[in-house]
Amino acid sequence: MNSTTRNQPRTSRFAWAAARAVLFFLRARAILVLLLLLVLFSVLAPEFLTANNLSILTKHVAISALLAVGMTFVVLTGGIDLSVGSIAGLGGMVAGYLLTQGFSFGGAMYFPPVAVVILLTICACLVVGALNGWLVAKAGVAPFIATLGTLYIARGAALLISNGKTFPNLGGGAVRGNTGFPAFGQSFMLHVPTPVWMMVALFAVTWVVATKTPFGRHVYAIGGNERAARLAGIRVAQVKVITYVFSAFCAALVGLIIAAQLEAAHPATGESFELNAIAAVVLGGTSLMGGRGSVTGSLIGAFVIGVLADGLVMLGVSEFWQIVIKGVVIVLAVGLDQLQTRLQARILPYLTTAQAEEGKS
Amino acid sequence: MRRSLASFGCALVLLACAGCQRDEHRKKLIVIIVPSQDNPYFKAEADAAAARALALGYRVRVDAHEDDAFRQDNLVDAAIASNAAAIILDNAGADATVSAVRRATRAGIAVFLIDREIDATGIAKAQIISDNDQGARLVATEFARAMNGKGEYAELLGRESDSNAQIRTRGFHAVLDRYPELKLVSAQSANWSQSEAFQKTETMLQAHANIAGIIAGNDTMALGAGAAVKSAGGSNLRITGFDGSPDAIDAIKDGELRATALQPAVLISRLAVDEADRLLRTGSTGEPELQIIPCELVTASNADNYRNFEKVR
Repeated sequence: MNSTTRNQPRTSRFAWAAARAVLFFLRARAILVLLLLLVLFSVLAPEFLTANNLSILTKHVAISALLAVGMTFVVLTGGIDLSVGSIAGLGGMVAGYLLTQGFSFGGAMYFPPVAVVILLTICACLVVGALNGWLVAKAGVAPFIATLGTLYIARGAALLISNGKTFPNLGGGAVRGNTGFPAFGQSFMLHVPTPVWMMVALFAVTWVVATKTPFGRHVYAIGGNERAARLAGIRVAQVKVITYVFSAFCAALVGLIIAAQLEAAHPATGESFELNAIAAVVLGGTSLMGGRGSVTGSLIGAFVIGVLADGLVMLGVSEFWQIVIKGVVIVLAVGLDQLQTRLQARILPYLTTAQAEEGKS
Repeated sequence: MRRSLASFGCALVLLACAGCQRDEHRKKLIVIIVPSQDNPYFKAEADAAAARALALGYRVRVDAHEDDAFRQDNLVDAAIASNAAAIILDNAGADATVSAVRRATRAGIAVFLIDREIDATGIAKAQIISDNDQGARLVATEFARAMNGKGEYAELLGRESDSNAQIRTRGFHAVLDRYPELKLVSAQSANWSQSEAFQKTETMLQAHANIAGIIAGNDTMALGAGAAVKSAGGSNLRITGFDGSPDAIDAIKDGELRATALQPAVLISRLAVDEADRLLRTGSTGEPELQIIPCELVTASNADNYRNFEKVR
């Protein structure tokens, strides 16, 4: 301790303290913005901070959180997945078809039970995810283009399944033996909506994978420097395919949840969901260049967007201003991200040497 | 860090309590949910409902679901969370709206559907809609008269998944098919869109040079068709629309369009708010659930009497 005071002038120590504080705030910006929004809306809208509303709010957040958490790995590898909204729409339509139309075997109708419907729906979505992965990792198509293509393919397929119509009455029938699907999105466990539990479970798994497993390190390594990762023996293509398939899995869950909530499957469901998910990922501090970011950040980012959306609705802010405000928040978040990167690059070396010297004495 | 979080939590609870106390003195809330606020029809509808509700002493909030059933679901949730007394809803799909309306009704909120029906009765307090079939027959009769009962014509249909598109085309043909010399040479969906109608019409005019009239499922498509006819250098085509939008009425005055069926959107909005008010005060709307309001024919002879989806004279 003494050695540092002797070696460095006092003023610069203060400057460091200030810089360290600024850096702390920049790092924690997503959660700070979230807390700020919560305080703001609680003051302005009296109904905001009720258990009922917080339950509804979290249920809404779960949708973009599932997509954002699912897409985090893709973005960490330096990719992007524009197709998640369409995959969600496709998932809903597959489930709607199976529940209301069933299969016909030589004139006899067969309606699969709900669990089978859910499994088949997820499988259908995983196929699209695998196609994304194959296009990006094996065929070498740029992720933006590959997933833009599958965005259209999946949306077109969703429209084709029903010829543009809605599948209504997904509640099923006792005769068909396929009741209970709406519970997937509408039921509660311990007074918490089921979609929220799915979000929590998925987040927990993803967090463990990202921080505690070799696979997680591989994802970061590919995003940091793909060539180096390949030379280090990481199976880059395989890891990438898995990230896109996982993203599609999350999108399938979202499609099922929405179809279950509405008790109807509409082919246009999920339009522009991908943009919300990307915004959440970026708000959470994940770099679109890959290699830097966290699953926790994406979760917080989804909460920021969800709280903002619901809070502004409750305040009765004009829809047009809502759009503007959302855009401003996203741009500010990315601006701050750049600031953090630059500050970190400038300060961190000094900080670490100072800490090292402190440690020595 | 942990202590600061705890104190922050306390502050939140205090704020919530302050909020509750203030809430008791506030007026009842009516939430108005319409498809969009950048479309003149839905804007007129929302504005009329909001103005009437404010005049009756309610707080008002206007939201838009952009024809997205999921967004509509979230907005209905938000209305439930805000303890709304009533919801005035122009819905995002006859099937996909049922579960949201049921949830709101279970939460004790009176739901009034305007402009579009849903596929269930006994859940909403009222479904007040304009008579699309009668309106379509009105326009078609005027169209046939303008065509002198003969010649080639084309039809622009609305989005095929939309029940109103089907009702309107059925109404058109119930009248037009009785004229043996009126010949439908092309029928295309332009998805209610002006730019799509423009392109489709240009193509149709290329394929069928003798088209003498175009009957469109709404005003936006009629105006798109009118622009295409003008850019193709053609004139004297009889074009009719549906809805009675201000743009279309101006076009009728200019002679670009022949006729349109005005949907009484403003009237319907006011009826819905009045009935909501009556229900909240007396416990009954005093009306049947399904109420069908007739459309009115607008032509060059009476175009001055209508403004912004409302008869002003």
